[in-house]
Amino acid sequence: MAVAATDINGLPTRDKSPSYWASVGKRFLKDKVAVGAGCVALTMVLMAVFAPWVAPADPLDGSMMDRLSPIGSEGYILGADELGRDMLSRLIYGGRLSLFMGVTPVLVAFFVGSAIGVTAGFAGGWVNTITMRVLDVFYAFPSVLLAIAISGALGAGIVNGLLSLTVVFIPPIARVAESVTTSVRKLEYIEAARASGASGLRIVKAHVLGNVLGPIFVYATSLISVSMILAAGLSFLGLGVSPPNAEWGLMLNTLRNAIYVQPWLAALPGVAIFITSISFNMLSDGLRSAMDVKA
Amino acid sequence: MTPPILTAAGLVKHFRAGGMGAKRKVVRAVDGVTFDLAPGETLGVVGESGCGKSTMARLVVQLLSPDTGTVKFQGRSVGADMSLTEFRRQVQMVFQDSYASLNPRMTMIDAIAFGPMVHGVSKRDAERKAGDLLERVGLEPNRFGARYPHELSGGQRQRVNIARALAFDPQVLVLDEAVSALDKSVEAQVLNLLMDLRRERGLSYVFISHDLNVVRHIADRVMVMYLGEIAEIGPTRSLYTAPRHPYTKALLAAMPSLDPDNRTEVAPLAGDPPNPIDPPPGCRFHTRCALAFGPCSLTKPATLVVGAGHLAACHLNARKGEAA
Repeated sequence: MAVAATDINGLPTRDKSPSYWASVGKRFLKDKVAVGAGCVALTMVLMAVFAPWVAPADPLDGSMMDRLSPIGSEGYILGADELGRDMLSRLIYGGRLSLFMGVTPVLVAFFVGSAIGVTAGFAGGWVNTITMRVLDVFYAFPSVLLAIAISGALGAGIVNGLLSLTVVFIPPIARVAESVTTSVRKLEYIEAARASGASGLRIVKAHVLGNVLGPIFVYATSLISVSMILAAGLSFLGLGVSPPNAEWGLMLNTLRNAIYVQPWLAALPGVAIFITSISFNMLSDGLRSAMDVKA
Repeated sequence: MTPPILTAAGLVKHFRAGGMGAKRKVVRAVDGVTFDLAPGETLGVVGESGCGKSTMARLVVQLLSPDTGTVKFQGRSVGADMSLTEFRRQVQMVFQDSYASLNPRMTMIDAIAFGPMVHGVSKRDAERKAGDLLERVGLEPNRFGARYPHELSGGQRQRVNIARALAFDPQVLVLDEAVSALDKSVEAQVLNLLMDLRRERGLSYVFISHDLNVVRHIADRVMVMYLGEIAEIGPTRSLYTAPRHPYTKALLAAMPSLDPDNRTEVAPLAGDPPNPIDPPPGCRFHTRCALAFGPCSLTKPATLVVGAGHLAACHLNARKGEAA
């Protein structure tokens, strides 16, 4: 048998084998649709982040003379809204709140829901049953209704809107986390880890999380678009963001009256929501298929 | 006789299978299994699918806790005279599915080093030990150490699983169909590795398999299980040449033979084993036994000594005893 090459410490030197995430990245880059969607989503995010530098005008500064200028009119590339504010600037600034309202609840729900779901799935037995039945209570309500009910009860405002959306997304994420964890828990490498005498927490950290967080994360990214639409819906109903702040759902609401005068202009915030949510969805689909390879 | 290294005494494990109150159903997966394992000995365990072999293995390594019965290591019962942590270090298990028993996100070195690190060995020492063990099971650590399970063949993965179990320096290994899923040639290599390791380290094995040829090759003693009970247990030689339980005879008759003059024409056992939720009364084998007579369906046969270290649970042996 060949003598093992060793490093200074006497430890065997190792051939580098491509890590799991490197191979996922490689497969993802081959997926043209997902990469395209990723670029669109990234552009949206960057535009929102750098809004003051990107936007041609102040989103709050209106001119009564230019109310409802059509798309392409002079000085207003995408027209002006019902108060004569530059539409393009409002869309760019509106992306800040819309994306924030789309991503934050999902992110918070990802951590909380994963913690609940992984605990329930790994514990099994009655802990699992009770946790999941309690979550089913939330599941019984349609998500829009639940979001409206919670933020209606808490009152209008961005924070309350975020809170209600977070509560809406915890049960579905926890359920996915629970089912993935339950399937992993039955595998023999978990049994082998238990036979090694490791504590439950240590097994979860070393063997469970790495194998469940990926699928949960992919599922969570698919919820970003839902969250954006729900947030827009809340604003549309006057429950989320309040005027004069720019937010796509709110803009859709205030431009509603102009739909017979300037239909294309009134549809613009909807187009922004559509493009962003569909690119997030395609991004998460691409991630899912890149991760879902049993080599 | 040397004191046994491992003792299983009256292990019983029933699983709930639905039903409430009086209608409550239980699967009698393991129903009173008792055996000793001598130091350096290999005990083969054979039986059909669903006879409780794997449940028995998990009871022995304390992955499942028995309803009743105890497991003792060197005479100390686990949980009472001996901590579970200490027991885990002494008794390890190798599973059948080489792929499912390795974490797909862990390199081979990390997988092997995990166990010792749980028991307080430093990361550096544990990794060094993992490298040595990889080398011992025939996998060059520089080539295989940083690989992931899907980059290895089934035989290589099973070698890693053996290395992982050995990382605790255990005295007993429970091998649950550890070679059954491998190709014949790879199976032979892994068996040879197991036999070398047994000699080198003075290991004792509980070797579970459905392959009687393999068991005959590796085991010193063989235990035949039927529906959660021991039908017959005895030294390999006497059990294979002079089986004293009709079920053992049937299993041996079903063994594939290379000798064309010795081919089985009729299946020695018909049908499937009865449902372990509702095992037949008396001797559990009487529904499929060609030699069943009066008492078989009424009373449970006693386990009788039928030879040196050879026990069988069959009414036929009692009748012979009376006649003699």
